[in-house]
Amino acid sequence: MTHHDEIDRAGHDAEYHEHGGVGKYLLVFLALCVLTSMSFFTYSSYWPFGKHAAWAFMMAVSCTKAMLVVMFFMHLMWEANWKWILTVPASFMSVFLMWMLVPDVGMRQNNGYARYSRERLAFAADPPKVEKSEVKALELEEAGH
Amino acid sequence: MKFKYHPGLPIPNGKTCVWLFLSTEIMFFAGLIGTYIVLRFGAIAWPRPHDVHLSEPIGAFNTFVLICSSVSVVLALEAAKKSRAGEAKGWILVTFLLGCVFLGVKMYEYQAKFAHGLYPQSPHGLVYDKADIYYGAAVRKRLLALKTEIGANLGPSAGVSGFDAAVSSRSAQYYEEQQRRMTLVDEISRDYLEPAEKATRDDPDSYDGRILFLKLAFAIYPPQYGAEGAEQTAAVNGFEKPPIQLAAYMVEEPEGAGHGEHAEGLNDKNPWLRLPIMIPGGALWTSTYFLLTGFHAIHVIVGLIAFALLMLATLDHTKSGVIENVGLYWHFVDLVWIFLFPLLYLF
Repeated sequence: MTHHDEIDRAGHDAEYHEHGGVGKYLLVFLALCVLTSMSFFTYSSYWPFGKHAAWAFMMAVSCTKAMLVVMFFMHLMWEANWKWILTVPASFMSVFLMWMLVPDVGMRQNNGYARYSRERLAFAADPPKVEKSEVKALELEEAGH
Repeated sequence: MKFKYHPGLPIPNGKTCVWLFLSTEIMFFAGLIGTYIVLRFGAIAWPRPHDVHLSEPIGAFNTFVLICSSVSVVLALEAAKKSRAGEAKGWILVTFLLGCVFLGVKMYEYQAKFAHGLYPQSPHGLVYDKADIYYGAAVRKRLLALKTEIGANLGPSAGVSGFDAAVSSRSAQYYEEQQRRMTLVDEISRDYLEPAEKATRDDPDSYDGRILFLKLAFAIYPPQYGAEGAEQTAAVNGFEKPPIQLAAYMVEEPEGAGHGEHAEGLNDKNPWLRLPIMIPGGALWTSTYFLLTGFHAIHVIVGLIAFALLMLATLDHTKSGVIENVGLYWHFVDLVWIFLFPLLYLF
């Protein structure tokens, strides 16, 4: 048996497994719609828990939605163990990328924007200079008069 | 017992490639989104949605459109596996159309930003972060350009008494409108800009001068009502707390105004003015918004091209592998939007 036959057989086996199905997909679709309206609800004036809770809630909802899409629509739920080889390293890299940015966010947030902004304004770069041609025109004007 | 050697993953090569590509895409968008989060939460000020003409319901609608398109792709795959070629093609067509709807809505949204001068960079961008003398200089420059333009429209004889509009090919109405514009430009200059410039010239960085520049900025482009925005605007412009003189512009929501609205400014009432606008954090907002949504839109366009090519073939079970691969990519595009929507519209 050649390598291709193996793959074909694996492919057919996957087809024969009872997974997916229109009913399941529609359920996932419904769940996604409900979750979207839930995160939209946090934005309305009826949300009682404040801004930061809303942010956390929305991220949790987004992660749930992402998991639903990946598991069911992208079939990762029913794939063999090869899925870990490709998804785990990439996820690790992205999660660490985010983590490495956390100190930066934290350092700025602790100051509060008002205090931070004064510090920042004090050490800010100079505002953009007037263009050379304009300066020249002014100088000429002054020299003329 | 004999073990067989498998040179690779137990899936078709195409699928392996798509998943490898997607794993790099995860990191690509993680980098972009991570950068956005750092800039967004580290910024001194960030525009509220209505400061930058973001519409949350439109964003939510687009989320819904993409979710629907994800479902239609899986249905196309299911149909193709059972060799129902016609049905599969129908679902692919539905997906294609939904993708077009998404892009159409995106274009409409971009148009709303462009119409208000919300571009990432000059020469088209009108956004200034604070109302200082540089902002004032930009307003003066634009007013001067307008005066020249309107003056030319009025013609050389406009100032001469006894000028007969009927002689000209233009209607009297046209000249009336140009006259009105000229008056408005002069009024803005006299009532808002000149007092601010004068106060700042007499006493640089004076409290009064800064208040007057803020007044100019608010008259042109009023902020979304709300205490949070008022505090940020005050901080950016060097005030300890929102100045009491400007409370009417910043905090109080007038009766009849809906949640998160803003008053009509000079730029709203007279679109031809296109005066520079002050939005604290606005420059950074335009950069990140157009970068993130732009990259996502490019991915959508690539997906649409793939669907268009798919529709040329007969979609029986031999094509199910290709549909699966394109579908995986499309689900990923949906996935990115799932994170972008709350981050850009609701945070």
